[in-house]
Amino acid sequence: MGDVEIKALLLNGNPEFWDRLAILTRQAGDFDEMFQLSNLRKKALARQVPRPGPVPKKIRLALMGGYSFYPFRELLEHVGDMEGLPYELWCGDYDNYISEIMDEASGLYAFGPQAVLLMPSEQRCKYPGKLTDPREMQQAEARRVVDSILELVRKVHDKSQAEVMVTNFMLPARHDLGAYRDRTLGSDWAFRKWVNLELGLNAPSFLHLCDLEFLAYRAGGLNARDERAWFESKQPCSAALLPALAREVVHLMAGLRRASKKVLVLDLDNTLWGGVVADDGIEGIEIGDTSPRGEAFKAFQKYAASLKERGILLAVASKNDQAKAEEVFQKHPEMVLRLDDFVSFKANWEPKSENIRQMATELNLGLDSFVFVDDNPAEIEIVRQFVPEVETILLGPDPADYVGQLQDCRLFEPRNITSEDIERTHLYRSETQRKALAATMTDMDAYWESLAMEGEISAFTPIDVPRLAQLINRSNQFNLTTRRRSEADLVALMRDPAYSCFSFRLKDRFGDHGLISIVIAKKTEAVLSIDTWLMSCRVLKRQVEDEVLNELVRLARQQGCMKLEGIYLPTAKNEMVRDFYARMGFVLTHEDECGKKYDLSVPAFQPIPTKIKISHRSHDPG
Amino acid sequence: MTQADVIAKLQTIFDQVFLEPVHLTPIMTAKDVPEWDSLTHISLLLAVEKAFAIRFHVGEVETTRNVGEFADLIAKRIQTL
Repeated sequence: MGDVEIKALLLNGNPEFWDRLAILTRQAGDFDEMFQLSNLRKKALARQVPRPGPVPKKIRLALMGGYSFYPFRELLEHVGDMEGLPYELWCGDYDNYISEIMDEASGLYAFGPQAVLLMPSEQRCKYPGKLTDPREMQQAEARRVVDSILELVRKVHDKSQAEVMVTNFMLPARHDLGAYRDRTLGSDWAFRKWVNLELGLNAPSFLHLCDLEFLAYRAGGLNARDERAWFESKQPCSAALLPALAREVVHLMAGLRRASKKVLVLDLDNTLWGGVVADDGIEGIEIGDTSPRGEAFKAFQKYAASLKERGILLAVASKNDQAKAEEVFQKHPEMVLRLDDFVSFKANWEPKSENIRQMATELNLGLDSFVFVDDNPAEIEIVRQFVPEVETILLGPDPADYVGQLQDCRLFEPRNITSEDIERTHLYRSETQRKALAATMTDMDAYWESLAMEGEISAFTPIDVPRLAQLINRSNQFNLTTRRRSEADLVALMRDPAYSCFSFRLKDRFGDHGLISIVIAKKTEAVLSIDTWLMSCRVLKRQVEDEVLNELVRLARQQGCMKLEGIYLPTAKNEMVRDFYARMGFVLTHEDECGKKYDLSVPAFQPIPTKIKISHRSHDPG
Repeated sequence: MTQADVIAKLQTIFDQVFLEPVHLTPIMTAKDVPEWDSLTHISLLLAVEKAFAIRFHVGEVETTRNVGEFADLIAKRIQTL
């Protein structure tokens, strides 16, 4: 590693130190490297090396469990900071987690964690009876272990509203019982496997599994464990596994707060098939089960198709003749992907960066929702330079590794899968048809009328919570305040009588858009203040905003409020709504560098007529 | 490797692990270095093991009473590889 170089940057107080440190941290392979980088970071903080960019707020994270958290906490703090999610850590005492969670006067609750990482003790995940006990007894004991963990998780979540991460259990890596280990649940091997499965399958939605079993498997069981480290200092695993564990925790935390990717843009030649169709012809390209290379490309297409099943949109950006490229999808019998699998298909000679920009406009999605995959470093570089928001994956030299590369990119991991994810491809396809219709209509009113739109307004319900959290944490453009909230935060809001919260669903004759707009408003005396107002950009210019405002005023009247207060907090992405409140008839009352405030008089407001038929869904219990 | 050789190599490791510079001597103990607590000790040992390509046996490091004895233990582990 560039050890000398980064130390020079540190000693000179050069702000470039921080970028370099982040890059080296991402590359760091073993514990030693990462630990030393974390030391450099501490030195840089002590020396106050100037750091560019805004200072993110620290997240209060509590670590607790049947282990000692040093030096793990150093790595975690370091990786979190490097990934833009700095932590303020609180560490529970070694193996004191049960009383720390059960005792409401414990230091844990005084700390007020926003997130908790619980690492239950492996010592307590052991079948106490005989290997030959009846299977029902062994299963019941495994269930008891899982229930006791889930009870702790529920308790800490209820008391602190924190998001909870729980590590499952590493499997043994010694031969011990031989093949007999698989014939009884009484062996550590089978018992822990069973517990891990029960834990995963019964986890409530606020529990985020930190899959230590998987991490250890990936690293190799013998490498993941270190008996001496346990005897001497109660380490959760070997030092070699600690960097991977720290990265996993940060990845989980980032997933709770950041939008996931929505579109996978694929190159064609030497990406979806071997060879160049313009040179080799449709018969000459390698795809399908007739050759090993052809099989590898086919496997890659199958994997892309499975991502589509999971709700990821597929698109093509290729340097090709459009008709020639499309012909492969129409005529080649071995192709897995077909034209209607793609929401956008751009085969032309424009720079791919431009093509991706156009896709973003057409699909009404932010560029940061896109991932671009190509085997050609030059194409990757163009996209990196001209649309840096787009995540890129440069495929390696061997098509056999393509699937693995995509599987390891960690950009398309589902959190809570909602049925709307699966519907999304369909939604975006109808959007394209809808645009075609709008293009033929000159009169907007007639267009809206023709859509036969139906809106449904509902107070927040428990069943909607995963979708609400997803939209709140994903939407950037039409988002007046961009306040992110976790599922736990939303549940707390639902219980707070000062808040009026509702969601808006829209369907029309082309399809169901699902839940597309969210409002959170807080009443303070005679003012109803709009804490959050966001909307999916798919339904821009569809009069949804008008109906949302009608509803807000209705709620304000119901609660005896005279004024509706609107707040705009600018971000890099919400320029679109900068003057939104002014357009909606609000009056500017305050403006500074942080944002703008507006008022709307409730008594003077006349409901805005729209073409959306509105129905209300009352507080149904999910 | 003599004790002095080992200490010289240890010095470079200490320079990386500790924020404040520490000048190692054979009679120095962990108590003489404010940063050298039971926690940094763990990372220090891992760094030492990696640098010397050795592995201490369970519990034996805590029986050494100063840097000199620690260096002797390292020299012994190098020999018995």
